[in-house]
Amino acid sequence: MTAALEYCNEIWNKRYFWSSLVWVDLRRRYRRSWLGIGWSLMHPIIMTVVFCSVFCQLFGQDVRDYAPFVLSGLAFWNFISGVTGDGCQSFYASEHYIRQHPAPLAIYPLRTTLGMGLHFLMALCVLLVMVWAIRGPSNLATLWALVPALALLFMMGWSVAICLGVVNVVFPDMQHLVQVGLQVLFYTTPVFYSAKLLEGHGVDWLVRWNPLAAALDLIRDPILNARLPSAHAWGVAGLATMILGTIAAWILSRVERRLIFHL
Amino acid sequence: MAHILLDNVGVAFSVRQHGRMTLKEFVVRGMFRRKVNPKIAVQALRDVNIDVRDGDRLGIIGHNGAGKSTLLKTIAGVYPPSAGRCVTQGRISSLFDVTLGFEPDATGWENIAYRGYLQGETPRTIAKRIDAIAEFTELGDRLGMPLRYYSTGMTVRLGFAIATSIEPEILIIDEILSAGDIGFQQKARERMESMIRTARVVVLASHDLPTLEGLCDKVMWMDHGTVRMYGPASEVIAAYSGRAPALAQAA
Repeated sequence: MTAALEYCNEIWNKRYFWSSLVWVDLRRRYRRSWLGIGWSLMHPIIMTVVFCSVFCQLFGQDVRDYAPFVLSGLAFWNFISGVTGDGCQSFYASEHYIRQHPAPLAIYPLRTTLGMGLHFLMALCVLLVMVWAIRGPSNLATLWALVPALALLFMMGWSVAICLGVVNVVFPDMQHLVQVGLQVLFYTTPVFYSAKLLEGHGVDWLVRWNPLAAALDLIRDPILNARLPSAHAWGVAGLATMILGTIAAWILSRVERRLIFHL
Repeated sequence: MAHILLDNVGVAFSVRQHGRMTLKEFVVRGMFRRKVNPKIAVQALRDVNIDVRDGDRLGIIGHNGAGKSTLLKTIAGVYPPSAGRCVTQGRISSLFDVTLGFEPDATGWENIAYRGYLQGETPRTIAKRIDAIAEFTELGDRLGMPLRYYSTGMTVRLGFAIATSIEPEILIIDEILSAGDIGFQQKARERMESMIRTARVVVLASHDLPTLEGLCDKVMWMDHGTVRMYGPASEVIAAYSGRAPALAQAA
């Protein structure tokens, strides 16, 4: 236990180092592009337009309900695919630091997760503006629930990035497998369709016990439905985060010193 | 008190004959129980003993591939020893690659901060030091330019100025750096030597034998990952330089 606290303390001591890495990553990604950081928002917005024009035509969904719904789903999914896809690369991307500079390994997946988290926050701001423009600020009373929800999502993302990062160092073809897995998850998570569509078809358990669907509910309920997320959603997402966090901590305790030999 | 203790330290790398193993290979191998891609253990260090304390200046010599860098990185905490134990007391500063952490698109000023954070500085401590660093580089207005427009010499100057702005307890150096033109080289050398004098413990690997003899009191001669000779600087260097040409002939 003291070892774990010491480890966290060491991460905190290096905060200026990893936060400068996050900052440099952001700059590098958008340098010399006229939209700059706006590009990270363009992707979910464009996809929202595409989904809206298809689904509102085909299924007669109301744009005013569907656009915020799908934008929140896609912004969330961008974060998930970022921490898994880039998470796989998190140790390789920082290889030159690991080779010369002893520091807690967890800061490198943290760098990836924080970068993705910042993009997600920006997309959430766009979403809030959209919701307020459509319905007025009716959700102000429930927005506080986003704070613990985002903290939980952040821990989930960090744990996933640590696990996949380590596995990908040992087995470099992991990231292809992850891409396939992400595709499957994308369709089994109510990103662009409502979970209600599945009810009565015998597959609603797929969404009910899917931690990603639960985490997405934690984000959607306070913003879109102006209500606090259900205890079920907190439970499923919280349990999944605890399991992932434990696995990540266990993996780190095994490979912390030895990962460098595999790089 | 600063202290480095290596007790029978060995470092072994295991590499695979055909590069990295993929998950596919792992599964296939598991199915057929056949070693397609065997592991090879490379013993980079074997039975190294070091005990240096406040005031000691240890030089490391040896041919390329003798294990000098591995030894330094083990002391710095980058590699864990696979045998024996390595205990250090005191804050370690290492000069391996002075341009590590540089971002080509950021200006010289920003890079001073980035590299400073890597060395454990905080915004407050770096603010106190940044003017002295800038002055030492002699780059003037060009510090406001993105690093990608710097020449190699300018980049090394900047890196050197930041890396040597610290007051280390334990200082680990892989080869004495010589940076820039003749004027700067002289200045860099003086800076390096004063750093070596003020640090509590120094471990320095170099091929520059006369300098080593001047700076270090003890020298360790590494050969194929083992300690070939360890003792007073002048004796070990004499033995090494007497032996080196003979080895070259034999090879």
